[in-house]
Order: sequence, then C-alpha cells, then structure tokens
Amino acid sequence: MNARAVTTDILLGLLPIVLLIAAWQALVSFGYAPVTLLPPPGQVFGRMVRQILDPTFQQDILATLFRLFAGFAVAVVIGVSIGLAAAANPMINAVVRPIVRVLAPLPKVALYPALLLLLGFNHESKIVLVAADALFPILLSTYYGASTVEQKLIWSAMAAGTSHREILFKVVLPAAAPSILTGCRIGLVISCIVVFLAEMITSTDGLGHVLVTAARTFQTVDMFVPLITISLLGLSLNGALEGLRSYLLRGFPDV
Amino acid sequence: MSTGRDLLARLAPLLACLGLLAIWQAASLALNNDSFPTALRAIEAVPSILGDKEALINILASLRRMAIGFGVAVAVSIPLGLLMGRSRPVASFFNPLLMVIYPVPKAALMPIIMLWLGVGDLSKTLVIFLGVSLPVIYHSFAGARAVEEKMLWSGAAMGLSAAERLVRIVLPAALPEILTGCRTGLVLALITMITSEMIARQSGAGNILFNALDMGEYDTVFAMIIIVGAMGIGLDALFERVRARLVRWSEPQFDMPLSFS
Repeated sequence: MNARAVTTDILLGLLPIVLLIAAWQALVSFGYAPVTLLPPPGQVFGRMVRQILDPTFQQDILATLFRLFAGFAVAVVIGVSIGLAAAANPMINAVVRPIVRVLAPLPKVALYPALLLLLGFNHESKIVLVAADALFPILLSTYYGASTVEQKLIWSAMAAGTSHREILFKVVLPAAAPSILTGCRIGLVISCIVVFLAEMITSTDGLGHVLVTAARTFQTVDMFVPLITISLLGLSLNGALEGLRSYLLRGFPDV
Repeated sequence: MSTGRDLLARLAPLLACLGLLAIWQAASLALNNDSFPTALRAIEAVPSILGDKEALINILASLRRMAIGFGVAVAVSIPLGLLMGRSRPVASFFNPLLMVIYPVPKAALMPIIMLWLGVGDLSKTLVIFLGVSLPVIYHSFAGARAVEEKMLWSGAAMGLSAAERLVRIVLPAALPEILTGCRTGLVLALITMITSEMIARQSGAGNILFNALDMGEYDTVFAMIIIVGAMGIGLDALFERVRARLVRWSEPQFDMPLSFS
C-alpha cells in the first residue's frame, strides 16, 4: 500500500462527511428546514467551540469521562479474569457458560431502574450499568482468545517446568492479548453509548444531561453539541486504544 | 450416560435462570428494602401486566416496531457490508463516516428525530434501524473481506459476473459472520426499542417500565424487567436456532452470544 493510495482513501473517506455537512447546510439555506428544527452547521460548530471553552461544560465532560472510565475499568478487570478462569478451568466454565448465555442477551438498560432503586442516583448506578454492558464482549473475547491458544505453546511451557499459574499469566494471557484487546475496543464504544444513555435517564451532570436539558427547552443547537462531543470522545478514545494495541502487540504477527 | 449429560447441558441455561432468581430472592430478603421486591413478588406481578389489554397492546406494538426496524436494517446493511468487504473504494468511502457515527448512542438521537418526525412509530423505528445497522454492516464487512480469493477466482474462471459472485460466493461464505452480526443487532434492537420509548414516553414496553419507576410501583418495575429480559433471552434462543439451521456446515465460533449495545 503506497502513500498515494492512502491519500486517496482518506479523501474518499472525507467525502461522505463533507457531503453530509453540505446537504445539512443546503437544507437550511434553501429553506427546506426551519432553523428552529435544524440549525445551520456553522452555528452548531461555533456553539460547540464556545461550549468546550466553558468551564461548566468541561465539568460535564469530566463527569461523563469519569463514569465511562470507572465502568470500563471494572468491566475489563472482571471480564478478563472470568474469561481466563473459564478457559482454564472446566468446572468454572460449566458454571459461567450458562450464566453468560442467559445474561448476555439481556438488555441491560432495562436493569437500570433496578440499579437506580438499589444504588441511588449518583455515580454508582451509572458505573455499574456501564460495567454490566461492557463486560460481556470483553469476557467473551477473552474466553475465546484464551481457549484457542495453541496447545503446543502450553506443552512446551509445561515441558520447561512452568507451573500452572505461571502458564496462565505468561503464556495464555499474552497469547490471548489480541482477542482481549478487540473485546476491549467493542467494550469501549459500548461504554460511550451506555454512559450517555444513563445520564439521559437520570442525572444532574454529564453530556447526556446536557442533551436532555436542551431538549426540554427546545434549544436545538445545544442538542447537537453533546452528540458531536460524544462522537469525538469515542473517536479519540478509540484512537488511543488503537495506539495502545499496536504498542502492546508489537512483534505479534498479523494484527 | 451421554443422554444424561445432554439433558444437563440443555437444562443448564434454565438452571442458571433459576439460580439468578434465587440469588435475587435471597438478596431482597436480606436487604429488606421497600423498593426492592423479592423475585417471587415480581413474578407474581407479571401475569397482571400481560393480562392487561392495554399493556399487552403496548408491548406488541413495541415488538412490531422492533421487527420492522430490524428487518429493514438487515436488508440494507448486509449488501452494503458485503460491497464494502469486496471493494476497497466503497470501504474507504463509508468507513470514516461509520466510525464517526459508531460511538453516538442512537437512542440519544431520539429527541432530535422527534422534532422532525414526531413521537410516532416512524421516529422510533428509524432509531432502531440506525442502532441495528452498524454491527450488521461491520460483521458483513469483516465476513466478506475474509472470503478466500481462490473461490472468487474459480467463480470468475467459470464465467460468473461480479454481481453473481457476490450473491453466490461471498454471501454464503460470509454468512456465519453476518449472522453473528445479526444476533448482536437483535439484542441491540431490543435495547434501542426500550430506550427510545423511555425518551418518547408515549407507548411501548419502555414507557410502562419507566412510568412505573416514576410512580414508585416497584413490583411493576421488576416485573417489566423480567418480561424484557425474557424477550431478550427468548429472541436470542430463537435466532440461535435459525442460525444453526442456516449454517449447519460451519462450526459455531462462539456458542455464547456476543451481544453488545
């Protein structure tokens, strides 16, 4: 893949985004959509820049980020440990498998009212919801990665006198790393989505709350700002994870 | 011996359900909190919801919206994903746009879409459509990209046109991956359905759930959670059956569902 092809790709990729914004502008300027329903893009992005410099809005972003990272971290820790344990131990597997089979397709948002009643309206209920939603993709991809580790690797480690515990951490975990990181990536996108939804349902701060307040007062411009912000947050977190992935997986073939 | 084992494997999800309900029962007895009814009381409240004609109509209307949104999304996303997987320009055209849309919670678009299309079926179905599309596109894309080139070459050598190759070689070869995407999409459709109805409080299962929360009818809240959960598990099991039948030739990659919202 040469540099020229990459430039073409990037230009091609920018095209639909540019077209979308152009169509948006056209809808407004030719009077198909009233400005109260669809504010022009210039106004939205101008508002966006002003909001990002505003300390209150920054507080909202920070609150969202805190819940997102807390929930995601819990999901990673629990997901990776259960996934590894289930792959390593048939007994644990026999217990975990049916439970996961039941819980994974359960729409977790429906549990949110229960979490609210049990944990209150503060950070805890939102963090638990984020963790519950991000958990399963991470758990499943860890399990999948760990249970498809090449048997020869494990045999050679055993032949070299490695203990069972050490095999788990020094052979299985690194070998499953690509799969685990793929799961984390899905989990991260989910965390973005879920934290926003939870904040929309009940919250006093955070990006979701900004959207709901704007919707209640029909401030259309302010409704677009949090949506674009969460999209940008998701993109940059995804990029950061991608960077971490290529750093952690340097030397892995074909990832 | 082997039949006993099979029976156990078949009953395992059921046992897991019972176990989880038992944990719930024990937890609520231990906490003894007014807003956390026991599992038994929540289950007792289920028939009264399903017996109520209006609630039943509401829930069925939700399911209909979900089915339409899911169906249209699958019909659009699979061809798009396959094309993206086989053609580099198409992929680089759509990829960045999809990456921008991906982290946006689709149900959060509801307030804006409601302004344009009203609170009716159309906006809710559109939101479900948006929510389901992305995973299906991504999985079809990944599946189509992984098709072995040799099969396509042989197809071309036998005189199949590009469109025929896409339908007769790429589609079947990518089918297991596509169905994984559809399974994810199904759970997602349910989640988007609930959240969209929670935001546009007008009708539907999500409306019943969150109205009950606001009114402090905790038995109804937990009964609705059971109903929605049962829908998720039931639809997933149903889909798994269809999947097993369609791609009997392929070893299931995950026999656990890969769900995400």
